[in-house]
Amino acid sequence: MVAKTMGTEVSGLEEFESIVRVLRFFAATRNYSFLDRIGNALNPETVEVALRDALRTFSSIYDASPADEKGLKYYEYEEGRRIRLPAKPSEGEVAAFLRAVWQDVGVARRVAIMAMSVPAREER
Amino acid sequence: MGVVTFLSVGVRFEANVEALNMVEVSGNYARHRRVPYVITEGGRLKVVYVPAVSGESIAHGYQVALAEEAKALGLPVCSYCSIGEFLKSMDEEHAAEKFDGKVPKLSGRSKKEELVSVVGEIESGIVRKCVVEDVGGFLYAGNPPVKRTSRFMVSYALPIKSVATYATLEPQLHARHARTAGERREGAAEQMIYYVETGTAVYGFTFNLDFAGVGVSSYSGRALVDDVKKRRLAAARALYRVLSSQGFGAKLSRFLPGGGAVAMVATLTERPFTVTSPIYDGFAESTRERLERVKATFGEKGYYFEMGKDGLKTPEDVLSAVIETLKKEGTI
Repeated sequence: MVAKTMGTEVSGLEEFESIVRVLRFFAATRNYSFLDRIGNALNPETVEVALRDALRTFSSIYDASPADEKGLKYYEYEEGRRIRLPAKPSEGEVAAFLRAVWQDVGVARRVAIMAMSVPAREER
Repeated sequence: MGVVTFLSVGVRFEANVEALNMVEVSGNYARHRRVPYVITEGGRLKVVYVPAVSGESIAHGYQVALAEEAKALGLPVCSYCSIGEFLKSMDEEHAAEKFDGKVPKLSGRSKKEELVSVVGEIESGIVRKCVVEDVGGFLYAGNPPVKRTSRFMVSYALPIKSVATYATLEPQLHARHARTAGERREGAAEQMIYYVETGTAVYGFTFNLDFAGVGVSSYSGRALVDDVKKRRLAAARALYRVLSSQGFGAKLSRFLPGGGAVAMVATLTERPFTVTSPIYDGFAESTRERLERVKATFGEKGYYFEMGKDGLKTPEDVLSAVIETLKKEGTI
């Protein structure tokens, strides 16, 4: 059984690290729909709606996943393959991300790109 | 002048508290399909997200009706299409029943002539054995691959522009009950709650049907069957049935929408002509004007039908008039 964390480094977009981690979780579990909607968005409204849907789905998964003795949560996405869940992004991080997106929608694209890359530091 | 073979229909329908097109379940929450929609507000363009029903969903409903109408008219429908599983002849396994188990194949070193011949043989075999695949098209991903384009086209159903912001999506709470006596599991909740997102809007969509392509090869343009007119009749009757009974969409067992068709416009033309999208106000007038212009420019025949005019009071009146005209013209 392989247990991976979601990686910790997000160069240049540190402010939105927790959002990248959530999107990275969806990429790792091959659920690209939210990433594609955020990465391809041409306007901030699209990013808002896609992020809301992503966080709604992530919340469902997070809340339904049991915690181990250390309090870490894992999600089994295929038989014998599980992945450690990142923390939910804070309200402040989400607000900062949306503010940035309203100023420059390209931020969303860069966040989606980071989510699809291999994290610089990865624990196995 | 030729024969009218192209039908285009624009429909506006009111649907209250519907779950016609659910796209995703996350946890105990089932989401309705929603799409970005550009509207004008205060002279500026704005993107809003509105409930929508995909063309695929409407196409599925139409093909279910088509299978039923074809069978009622004694026309062939394959076993999968008969039960509403439109896998079509997607591979050798699913195409097998049309060829008594022996789907034509290319030999090892095939030449262009052989390719053309085998492709034609496959298309012809499938079309002859299934009206749904004749009208709705298929993609056979075997050797060689064969594609038949659908003879009907259908748009998304979208809220009409002028009142798009009045469309709503609202989650409704439901509960499933566990047994409260006997074999009830320890610790199990008596009720499991879940939410279904419901949409409400006045929707508009467009449906086109090209009778000229029914029963006709996509490759050679030759007729593949003797009962072309009967197949066209089945295609027209299926549209009547689906629009009359609003027979499309998911979750109809508990979310049959309140409402129905509030406007309908249909045209019959010799060559492709699509009605103005019903999402725009004045779509009927616009369609009539455009049709007159096309008729004058090309010197072609064209018929216009509008619900609420010329004695056509209901959607059924419009569709009956369309079918009568097709009969009179000798199309079906």
